[in-house]
Formats: sequence, structure tokens, C-alpha cells
Amino acid sequence: MKVKVVEKDVLNPLAEIMMVKEELNPIPYDFESVSLLDNTKPGANVILELLEKNLGKRKFVRVKKPAGSPATIKQLEIAANSEIVILALGDCGSCFSWIILDAIRLEKMGRSTISICSDRFLNFAHELAKSHGAEDLNILSIKHPVAGHSKEEIEEKTLQILPSLRYLLQIP
Amino acid sequence: MKSVKMDKKSHNSRSNENCSCLIEDLLENAKTDDHLCKVGPNDIEVFIDPDPEKTSYNFYIRRMTDGLPIIPPTRDRVLKFMEYTDRNPDDLLAVLPPRQGKAIIEKIAINSVMAGCLPQFMPIVQHSIEALSIEKFNLTSVNATTHPVAVCTILNGSVSREIGASSGDGCLGPGNLANATIGRAVRLCLINIAGAVPGIGDHATMGSPAKYSYAFAESEFESPWDSMHCERGFDPLTSTTTVMAVEAPHNVNDHRSKHAEELLETISHTLSTPGSNNSHVPGEVLVIMSPEHARTISRDGWDKQDVKNYLHENSLVSVELGDRGGRKLDKKWIVDGNIRITRSPNDVVLVIAGGDGRHTMIAHGFGTSSESVTLPILFKDGTPVQSVHDFKE
Repeated sequence: MKVKVVEKDVLNPLAEIMMVKEELNPIPYDFESVSLLDNTKPGANVILELLEKNLGKRKFVRVKKPAGSPATIKQLEIAANSEIVILALGDCGSCFSWIILDAIRLEKMGRSTISICSDRFLNFAHELAKSHGAEDLNILSIKHPVAGHSKEEIEEKTLQILPSLRYLLQIP
Repeated sequence: MKSVKMDKKSHNSRSNENCSCLIEDLLENAKTDDHLCKVGPNDIEVFIDPDPEKTSYNFYIRRMTDGLPIIPPTRDRVLKFMEYTDRNPDDLLAVLPPRQGKAIIEKIAINSVMAGCLPQFMPIVQHSIEALSIEKFNLTSVNATTHPVAVCTILNGSVSREIGASSGDGCLGPGNLANATIGRAVRLCLINIAGAVPGIGDHATMGSPAKYSYAFAESEFESPWDSMHCERGFDPLTSTTTVMAVEAPHNVNDHRSKHAEELLETISHTLSTPGSNNSHVPGEVLVIMSPEHARTISRDGWDKQDVKNYLHENSLVSVELGDRGGRKLDKKWIVDGNIRITRSPNDVVLVIAGGDGRHTMIAHGFGTSSESVTLPILFKDGTPVQSVHDFKE
């Protein structure tokens, strides 16, 4: 008689992923209006103000949303009145999450978006966008950290991302 | 633990697809090395449990544990948990961020086995996972934040008593099986289903010991007031689970106050902490009050609402200290140069628990970014679960 000792299998605790695919909106070739969606993280206003100054003569709309929480429908609707929405700032776990998820909500509303996250959270921001079906979401990275720094220091970091932003927006 | 794979069918039903060798035949009739059937090279397969050390390590290096050893989630263990749910193994309860993992019943059971739960704890874990998936809980942020917020699970009703969850001495740990493993099961579900792996989907700067396990029951019979689930509209006989995103608890030691107001003054000072999320984005706070403290307040004629009113009115920080948080202070929160820790008395989540002693524990919440959720423990037809034995009927 042959006896075989077999170790029982263990089951996999990891969940399957809910796969979705979101259609993203291309950046318009030319545009007149930009919404600047500020999640009120320290430095977000400095970044957005400097970007506004460097994006030419266009109509800019400032909208505030809470960090770490979803924007309200009204906030999104106001932001979506422009052709492009720039969102800042994702420099911590909950704030980058809701920068990305609000950007996806805006894309679903038909708006092109560019999200700004700090470089320490950039990969996670891309992963989050991917897991929500928006792998190609536009995300620009600014050098971490932003909070706890002076206006001048934040402006210097912002100037470094301007070429990438202008390239994305096809501004010469 | 060993088990022998045996089939109760007769010899006549043997086939290559369905081996049915009986152990008696093997022992009594096997005179040679010939096999009784053609299915496999062995007459008997003896199944043994996986080595817990090896399994724990294999799971650990795949980032599927909290770092502590686990119970290997074998199919037979998981099946025992399925006896305490009326759902199917592949029933989808929720999709959990950031990984957008499908929280199906089987995965919740697997993680509960790993945590060391008893099968009877399954209804609590299942409903707790469902609760934290509700929108106002904002699991996206609770999982991803750099803040050390943990998920606290608070149990009310007969099921919590039946499974032996502690509401008394040392209820916040260590030492109670239900409290320790239910809280751990919730955390393992967050890691393996939601993807809240530290440094990947959970970006807490330092994390928190409260993220290992954080569950307890309310001491309903020691409370001079309505218990939390009754306050939230549930019948006293209905069992509930409440999930709340809070920091690790901070003690309030007050042995000397003899009256309600002076005792609550001590508690409100402990709550008035700059640097908490509540100090710039007011929201819920958890107050776990010992029965002794509750009786001191109650004997002065104060009811639960009086306590909540007092703590809301008197727990505050100066604007100067409050406006240093992650989010710009909204001027609407400023009252006479101060910021209240809570938005309203309802943000004071007051629960009576603990043994003898004159202590209260407070835990700041996640500010305006998360609200606690209480769910009744129900069968899928909406009938309340009065006892875990109901699943057997």
C-alpha cells in the first residue's frame, strides 16, 4: 500500500480587481478657458497662481475643493465650465487620491484634465488612475515636499514643471 | 491536524475520474503493491495542514499579512466560515479602493481565517466590510492617507455578547479573541482586498499600532444611557457593527472629579488637541467612557445629549494653532477666535466600555473626510440576526 502525504492548499486572500475603462478627453488644440481646481493644500494656491500667469491670455476660473475628500457636484460643475481643468495638489495620500479621482470624474463630464502631484506620490497616482480605468490620465509631478516651504521655494519648483505643462497644452 | 481523504462510495462506482478506494479495502484486501484503482499512484493520500511558519512567511513576503503569523487559510477552514453567512462565496459585497478589489464573501472569509477568527465571527466581519465601503466613510482617503487613521469597529447587541466580544476590562486589548481577531480581519481585508499595503496603497507616514486591530463592544448594561446603536435608531435587540475612522486612543485619567462638569472639563481639554485633523477640519471624535465616569456624570442628572453638548461646546483650539493642518482652515469653523473640534454635538460618538477604573479614552477622527457608519447584522432577506446559531437553522 502506498501512502502519499499531501500538504493542503491554501486559498488566495487577494481580491480580483474590478476592471473598468474610462474614455479620456484629448487636450484641445486651442482653448480659451481653464479652471484651476485648488484642494487648499499648502502651496496649491501658489502653484496655480504661477501657472495662471504663464499660460497666456485666457479665461481662468478658480474653484476650491476639499483635500482628502471628493469635490461636491457643484464644485465639479463650476470647474467643468472651462475647456481644461488643472487640479492641485496631490502631495499626500488622501489628497493625491481625490485629485486623481476628481480628475476622472471631470473626464467623465467631458473635460480634459491635468493633475499635479508631488513626485513622491506620482507612481501611486498613476497606479490609482490605472485601477480606476484611466491609465493615461495626465499627471504632472512637482518636486516633493511642497508643504512647509516658502512661496519663493514653491514658485521655483513650479517653474520646473512649466515646460512639461506647456508641452501638454501645446503652447509654444 | 491530519485528515484522510476517503470516499463513501462502493467499489462498483470506482473509475479513473472518481477514485473511491475505501480504507478498509486497502487494509484488508491489498495483498500486493497493486493499486485498487487506476486513478493515481497512491492508495491513500493523507492531507496535512500547511506549516503555519512556512505559510506565514510565504504570505508575508508577498505583502499579504500585517507582519504577524497567520492561520493558513485552507479550504476546509474557509468552508466553516461559510456556515455563518447566508451569502454565496462569490457574492460581491463591495469594491474597495484604492486597488478596486472585489470584496466577495469568500475573500472576506479567507482573510478572517488568516486573522485567527472563529467561524462564528463571520457575520461581524462581513458586515463591517460592507459598512466601510459606504461612501460617507471615504475608504479611499482612509486607506491612502499619510495620517495614522485606523478603522475602529464597535459592536452592539446580542451577537457581540454571544461571540464573547469584550466590552469590559481591557476591551481595547490585549486578551480577547473576538476583539483581537475581528479588528485584525478587517485590517487584513483592507490589505488584501482593498490593497492598503503600507507604502503602496496605505501611505501612512508612520502607521499606527491601532492598525493591527481595533475592535471592542459597548458595555450596554453598564451604561446609564441609551447605547450607541439605539441612539442611531436601532432596536436594542438588533446587533450592529459600527466602523469609525479614528486615531489610536488617548487616555483621560480623572480620579478626583466628583461632578459632571469638572469631569467633562478634563475630557474636553484632552480633546482640545492642535495637530489632530479635527483641529482644522472639525469632525467626529470617539469618546470611550468607563462606566464609573459615566455614573459620575449621570448621577448629576446629565443625560447623554448633555454630555455631547458640553464636549462640543468646550472642545476647541485657537485659530493660530488650529490653522496648521493639511487643509486650509475654512473661516466658517471659527467661533470667537477658536475652532471647535466637532461640527455639532452629534460628532461626539459616545460609547460606554471598560472595566473598573476612572478612565475615559478619546480618539480624534479624520476630520470632515470620514463619517462613521453603523450597519445592522442582517440576513440577506433583511431579517435581523439574533444569534449566530440562526445560520444553522
